[in-house]
Amino acid sequence: MQLRYVYSELGQGLRRNLSMHLAVILTLFVSLTLVGLGVLLNGQVKKAEDHFGSLLQITVFLCNDSATSPNCTGEVTQAQKDQIIKVVEDNPEVAGYHMESKQEAYDKAKELFSDEYLSRIDSFGPQSMRESVWIDLKDKDEYQGIKSAVQGLDGVSHVRDQRAVLEPLYNALDALTYGAIGIAVFLIVAALLLVANTIRLAAFARRREIGIMRLVGASSLYISLPFLLEALVTAAIGVALAIGALGLFMYFGVHEKIQQSVNFMPWIGMPEFLNAALWVAVLGPLLTLIPTLVLTRKYLKV
Amino acid sequence: MIRFEKVTKTYPGQARAALEQVSVDIEKGDFVFLVGASGSGKSTFLRLVLREYRPSQGKVYVAGKEINRLASWKVPRLRRQIGTVFQDFRLLQNKTVSENVGFALQVIGKNKSYVDEIVPETLELVGLEGKGDRFPDELSGGEQQRVAIARAFVNRPMILIADEPTGNLDPNTSVGIMKLLDRINRTGTTVLMATHDAGIVDQMRKRVIQLEDGRVVRDQSGGVYGHQN
Repeated sequence: MQLRYVYSELGQGLRRNLSMHLAVILTLFVSLTLVGLGVLLNGQVKKAEDHFGSLLQITVFLCNDSATSPNCTGEVTQAQKDQIIKVVEDNPEVAGYHMESKQEAYDKAKELFSDEYLSRIDSFGPQSMRESVWIDLKDKDEYQGIKSAVQGLDGVSHVRDQRAVLEPLYNALDALTYGAIGIAVFLIVAALLLVANTIRLAAFARRREIGIMRLVGASSLYISLPFLLEALVTAAIGVALAIGALGLFMYFGVHEKIQQSVNFMPWIGMPEFLNAALWVAVLGPLLTLIPTLVLTRKYLKV
Repeated sequence: MIRFEKVTKTYPGQARAALEQVSVDIEKGDFVFLVGASGSGKSTFLRLVLREYRPSQGKVYVAGKEINRLASWKVPRLRRQIGTVFQDFRLLQNKTVSENVGFALQVIGKNKSYVDEIVPETLELVGLEGKGDRFPDELSGGEQQRVAIARAFVNRPMILIADEPTGNLDPNTSVGIMKLLDRINRTGTTVLMATHDAGIVDQMRKRVIQLEDGRVVRDQSGGVYGHQN
């Protein structure tokens, strides 16, 4: 297909409606950044839950060589473990559980500390960690039964329930996530309306060309291609700006600042950023292409 | 080439049919005048041929295709076989004569070298050689209509539809346009022309289909504009 016309139209269209396109780009930029922040915050919640357990989890740490708890007589035995698991499985407050090995515990701990710090304490390795049972509760307020049932068992070092401490943190993260997504939804609606208006203006400005194209038998795709490309170009710019802003936030906000000052919990990094960038990169083009497709069908019907 | 079988077209929300039980058969290479007062159904007839509308009842065949059954995505292909000319020329003012004519080829995907070759040829055919670089507003009405005809004919369509092509032109210029349409007709192109211009119809002595209130009241070869006694 000869696309000379399409490209020249694309350039003309972008210039003709420059102010509208800028409005679309800025709205997309801000809304996509907020969506990305929401995804990042959600990633942070997941990360914290992996580390400390969620509001529905309590953790039972088992004895190791160096444990000093009165229930411990050295490393937990297989018989003791079986007994603990049986108690957990039989308890009506428990929805489910999983075991965490020493190696897994070590991997998590490593995340918090720099390699440089770890290399200074050679004795720190998987062997210094404790095995644990992560218990999922059916109801976050009903935990006393299971807690007291496992607490006195042989082989149990201690039961961790940090939920009272974690709850405000999780609530704050959730509030921020919903806040970011909530504002983003309003801005997305604004972006959709702006895209729709831009297309209406462009279709009106080009109505003679479009009329002739229909008459001489140009295909619908050919007629709507300049509109679709305009939508894609604005989306690409909006997405690039949003990903840039998220990248700056990750680098200067998380990596350079929070991570340095608050190191009792693991912080989001590259994988979470890439996930957020993927959301933004998919959502941006969808937000401009969907109204464009709907409206070009309406205005440019053959 | 164009066949209407008991075609009725009623627009949504209107009680009276714009066309009623119209049956017409136009052969390849025919030159047909469509005459009748305003509101008699001429435009509806042309629009049905272009598949801008579908008939409410009956069947319309164009270039061997039954247009009622033609899928929307095939409509552009049908329209490439039909050239259309209007009373108001409908040229793009920001494009030169050559660009206006070339536009029709460009937007259906013809490559540049083909366009560059065929556009000057077509301009010569319609008597506009050497005027390819002019803009429409630098041309007379008759010349602008020739550009429009060049654009309609540049893809060598099987059918040329002209809706009042001389409506905005003086009688002398109109004669020139009619000679051009006649020449195009002689290349084998079917010409279907809606007109109010009695002088032209009487002079050309071609087939005349007369519509009145949406019905065919006369279909006569070698006819004149008004009723013959």
